[in-house]
Amino acid sequence: MGQILQVPYPLPSLLNPHLHLVKSPLFFPAFPPLLTPLLLSRALSLSLQLLLHRAFFPLSPPHPKMLWVDKYRPRTLDKVIVHEEIAGNLKKLISEQDCPHLLFYGPPGSGKKTLIMALLKQMFGPGAEKVKLENKMWKIDAGTRKIELELTMLSSTHHVELNPSDAGFQDRYIVQEIIKEMARNRPIDTKGKKGYKVLVLNEVDKLSREAQHSLRRTMEKYSASCRLILCCNSSSKVTEAVRSRCLNIRVNAPTEEQIIKVLEFIGKKENLQLPPGFAARIAAQSNRSLRRAILSLETCRVQQYPFTANQAVLPMDWEQYVSEIASDIIMEQSPKRLFLVRGKIYELLVNCIPPEIILKKLLSELLKKLDSELKHEVCHWAAYYEHRMRLGQKAIFHIEAFVAKFMSIYKGFLIATFS
Amino acid sequence: MSSDIRKWFMKQHDKGNGTASKPAAKPASAASEKPPSPVLDELVQGAQENSGRRKTSKYFATTTATESGSKQTTKDGKVTQKSPAKRKAQKIREDFQDDVKPVPAKKFHKDEDDDFVPSNDKKKAAEVKPSKKLKSGSGGGVSKNSVDKDDDDYDEDELDDKYVETPIKAGGRGRGGRGAGAAAGGRGRGGGRGGFMNFGERKDPPHKGEKEVPEGAPECLAGLTFVISGTLDSLEREEAEDLIKHHGGRVTGSVSKRTSFLLADEDIGGRKSSKAKELGIPFLTEDGLFDMIRKSKPAKAHVQEEQKKKVEKSPIKSTPLKVEAKVDRVGSGGRKDAAKIVKSGTSPGKPKIQSTDRSSLTWTEKYRPKVPNDIIGNQSLVKQLHDWLIHWNEQFLHTDQKGKGKKQADSGSKKAVLLSGSPGIGKSTSAKLVSQMLGFQAIEVNASDNRGKADTKIVKGVGGNTSNSIKELISNEALSCGKNWSKHPKSVLIMDEVDGMSAGDRGGVADLIASIKISKIPIICICNDRYSQKLKSLVNYCLLLNFRKPTKQQMAKRLKQIADAEGLQVNEIALEELADRVNGDMRMAINQLQYMSLSQSVINYDDIRQRLLSSSKDEDISPFTAVDKLFGFNGGKLRMDERIDLSMSDPDLVPLIIQENYINYRPSSIGKDDNGVKRMNLLARAAESIGDGDIVNVQIRRYRQWQLSQAGSFASCIIPAALMHGHRETLEPGERNYNRFGGWLGKNSTTGKNLRLLEDVHIHILASQEANMNRETLRVDYFTLLLKQLTDPLRVMPKEEAVQKVVELMDTYSLSQEDFDTIVELSKFRGHPNPMEGIQPAVKAALTKAYKQGSSSRVVRAADLITLPGVKKAPKKRIAAMLEPVEGGLAEENGDAVAEGEEEDSSDSEDTDDVGSNTNGEAKPQLDLLGNKPKGVQVELDLKSNGKSKSGAKKKTPASKSQGSESAGKGPRGSGGGKRKR
Repeated sequence: MGQILQVPYPLPSLLNPHLHLVKSPLFFPAFPPLLTPLLLSRALSLSLQLLLHRAFFPLSPPHPKMLWVDKYRPRTLDKVIVHEEIAGNLKKLISEQDCPHLLFYGPPGSGKKTLIMALLKQMFGPGAEKVKLENKMWKIDAGTRKIELELTMLSSTHHVELNPSDAGFQDRYIVQEIIKEMARNRPIDTKGKKGYKVLVLNEVDKLSREAQHSLRRTMEKYSASCRLILCCNSSSKVTEAVRSRCLNIRVNAPTEEQIIKVLEFIGKKENLQLPPGFAARIAAQSNRSLRRAILSLETCRVQQYPFTANQAVLPMDWEQYVSEIASDIIMEQSPKRLFLVRGKIYELLVNCIPPEIILKKLLSELLKKLDSELKHEVCHWAAYYEHRMRLGQKAIFHIEAFVAKFMSIYKGFLIATFS
Repeated sequence: MSSDIRKWFMKQHDKGNGTASKPAAKPASAASEKPPSPVLDELVQGAQENSGRRKTSKYFATTTATESGSKQTTKDGKVTQKSPAKRKAQKIREDFQDDVKPVPAKKFHKDEDDDFVPSNDKKKAAEVKPSKKLKSGSGGGVSKNSVDKDDDDYDEDELDDKYVETPIKAGGRGRGGRGAGAAAGGRGRGGGRGGFMNFGERKDPPHKGEKEVPEGAPECLAGLTFVISGTLDSLEREEAEDLIKHHGGRVTGSVSKRTSFLLADEDIGGRKSSKAKELGIPFLTEDGLFDMIRKSKPAKAHVQEEQKKKVEKSPIKSTPLKVEAKVDRVGSGGRKDAAKIVKSGTSPGKPKIQSTDRSSLTWTEKYRPKVPNDIIGNQSLVKQLHDWLIHWNEQFLHTDQKGKGKKQADSGSKKAVLLSGSPGIGKSTSAKLVSQMLGFQAIEVNASDNRGKADTKIVKGVGGNTSNSIKELISNEALSCGKNWSKHPKSVLIMDEVDGMSAGDRGGVADLIASIKISKIPIICICNDRYSQKLKSLVNYCLLLNFRKPTKQQMAKRLKQIADAEGLQVNEIALEELADRVNGDMRMAINQLQYMSLSQSVINYDDIRQRLLSSSKDEDISPFTAVDKLFGFNGGKLRMDERIDLSMSDPDLVPLIIQENYINYRPSSIGKDDNGVKRMNLLARAAESIGDGDIVNVQIRRYRQWQLSQAGSFASCIIPAALMHGHRETLEPGERNYNRFGGWLGKNSTTGKNLRLLEDVHIHILASQEANMNRETLRVDYFTLLLKQLTDPLRVMPKEEAVQKVVELMDTYSLSQEDFDTIVELSKFRGHPNPMEGIQPAVKAALTKAYKQGSSSRVVRAADLITLPGVKKAPKKRIAAMLEPVEGGLAEENGDAVAEGEEEDSSDSEDTDDVGSNTNGEAKPQLDLLGNKPKGVQVELDLKSNGKSKSGAKKKTPASKSQGSESAGKGPRGSGGGKRKR
């Protein structure tokens, strides 16, 4: 599970270039209520185009009604309990005052965002948490035509966080123009030691190839005034060129033991009586996503409080639906059923479940019920159609094609086996 | 007449026919080579006779005794007089009236080498007929006993007709087709297939392609009208139609008195067959049709001719002069219906000569109608135009003198007229002719002239550009400007192609309207599309005359005249086909005709068919029709270019409809498929191909690789259709068995809408700063819990407590009520219980109330109306949706508010920049629009200064209207209910 940190950048001596980051249990034990004075949001003084403003000071104490997953999110690198070692290394990295571009990657729910936020706080102090939400409109001259782009970004004085892939296939312009422009402007506030600004780009793996190509030049040219922190699920979808310009940090999914630990920790904080094995069951169902584990713990809490030992851990609503689809498919393979399945998949898509997730979940549900000799083939086809889905645009076509393929394979198999 | 042995033989022979291409020819020629033995001769004769009878067998069965009697006698006479061979030839001719026309060219050439060769079919026919007539004519019960040769010829034709017509009287296929053994054999195969016709679709012919389609004499079916019903034995309906038309027959859609045969291989008891029975129209099987055609085969005529040659003395030869005369006439009219020959008196002379003296004028000009009555179709419109023009002067010029009052009163009259209609149907011609006839001088201005807005100073324009001259012309008739057109006492201005006024003709239409208002001469405007956007304003000032396409009969008639005048031999069937193919465009028809005349002087149905095959496809075809055709039972037989045409008819919609419906088809290619594996496999392949189409489409759209569009439609339409075409089945009970509209569009837009809503929620949560996740995570992970947290308390806890809890949570994450709805909405799954189920309306109301109460003290964190990145907005819709749930009385106001909001929107966004820069740095009161306003216009706006200290005064404005304008002044963010930042 250890991960090699690639260090193409001049690194602080402290950081071992071949550092094995062992998944380390860390979840910070206590959340100190930070009573911070409520300040006037800086947003007020900004252009009125910034639609959002803060009335709360960001570092207000955790709201009693917050979801646990947010409530117990570690806010500083010191308090991180999962991925402790990464946190430690990052801390050292920062203290050297020179930070390379970073690329965090890892499965959802593993703590990338948490680490990034904590890192920012470590870099800039509490100022980094004074975030405001901006909705900015950019006019971009793209040669022949003018493009208007709107982008929501979270920004503090020290950093800007945005989702360039929100712009769809025009993400290239965001990288070319917007990021460049932001990167070009050196922060005026130089009284501190940090002479650079940080740009956090989410979902870089969803950036188009063109955008990623544009990105690499930006990364080099403006490295003096700007650091990029990229965040994505899969580094394989980030081009080599970009990867090699960053310090790659893999954030592993926490193990089930780690998850159980965290759950128990929360249970203690919340004064819950966790029946033995309950946390383990939640962890097992969480797909090693810490976030999901905490969320489902709270779901269970809402559902029924004094926990019982055999209390069902409810799956997510959509997961349940997908598994229904899977059993539909297994039960009958006919055009009629295919049609029914199409309707259900549409239902999921309409409810904004990303098609990749649907396909993945569907596959795993199907695999559960499948004979082992078919598994390989079915996995192959799922991968095949997922790839095509990313090439294409209309996800339903490809999911349906997968279902049809599966039905045809499975039906053939059934007939060959049983008659 | 039919002995057992003959029947037996005939059956054998008929079976042979199925495979041999020249069924009767062989035995016949064999017989002719050598003096045949009587027995063989007899057999052959019998066979032919019988097969002949099968075709028109009814006339044997039904002809009056006298007729058959006379025939018998003729035959007897022949038998006694002629050698067997001769007799046989005679007999063949007698029995097969249609055969008489084609006679080998050889003989003909002997007689008249100098004559024009291509037309010799007809001539041969004509030539032979009299000879036959000599012997059989007198015997024909119906024909009059005429002495004159020419008359004889006609009689023969009449006789032909009679024979063909008799079946009508005879009726009853049972008597006819069934009576003949071969026909019965033919039926036998198809006999069991009675009731398989499903509604609305036609099966494949059971013996498709198994039978040899006979090739007969070109005009052997002339004058006959067929109606096809049901499935034929081996031919597709279209093929049968072609076959009939090819041989000069006519195919109509429904049974009428004029129908000669009902072509059907099975009695499905439909409307056609019952009508036919009622009218006594005979049924004809496909085999019967084949025989009918087959026996007209030239090959047989060869035999006859040769035999005739043997018999040295032939009456024809003895009178070469008469033959010549006949040749002339037949040469001109022979292509027509045999029956019509009598009536067509014109003989334009020999084609050869004609072809040399063709003038250089194109035919369209040459045969342009010279008088209004010549115009094909639309006579009433021409009349209307005529009347309008006649009355123009008195109506407008006179009233001018009398004062305006009367003019106003006569509102029905317009000063200009607008002729519209598709190209080539005679609009310009009508306009010119009518004005010419009434003595008007027509001044035509068309797209080749500059028709821009005239210079305001007309004086300057005198003698200048056309528009100025027009202005001049219409404004003052008397003023002479050096162009002689205005000197003419009566002028009419024809503005041709007004819908073509474009870039070069700036202000053309407006100027034209102005001209119409002041015009002192009538103006005729002509356009193709009167619904064109450009002409919207013009139509109000014009009398609208919409020219319709002439019918194909009308066109064929006129084309026939032209063809006759040019010495072109075309039959009417062919011309009708031509008229059909050009889609009503007379000009194109004439052009095509002229073009074809260059290469051939005889044009038949097939020539036209081939020539215009491609041009016939131009008509619009709806995506549904295209999908129907592609998936239809016969979809596999379409040619590739047809399929491409179909799928390209709407390259966006057709793939979607295909994708929506391909599951419903049971492929006809799989044959027996017990467990559905084959179908499932095909489905998988089709689905994959559809996926390919999607991938290609991305390349096309995103990277503008338009050259891939064919590959795209190939993958997304043609392959799935090729795999799946067959019968459509319904998958859901109660579903109509028609192709559904592609569901993707609707689902996609719903997805888009939901994504926008989700993004709203997301932004609000981000703004609360309590959490930081991306949109997907929010939906996938958070929603289940959020929904539970939001709804469960409402269900189980006491009202007050629950509401308080939920509002607290909403406040924590700065969720608005809309967000609440979004979360509920996005968690609904069909077949699962509604998340809101079990929540008392009272609780819901309490929640709303509590939330609203909170809004006064609530700290605003997120501006509500945030625009979303990367997502197309439909502000109007969303505003409408927001304002919709309103009690009736407020509806109107709402509409106003929305409109107002929209207007403000634009002005606001303009302001935004300046104000933004001006006010930068000041603490700015911010407006926040809180949540969904079920109260419609009573939008509550939280006007709050942001700072904690300057806790804002809450401002409640009753109507967003005033609020909107007010806020527009105050700051760019001020917005009414309908405000949406762009």
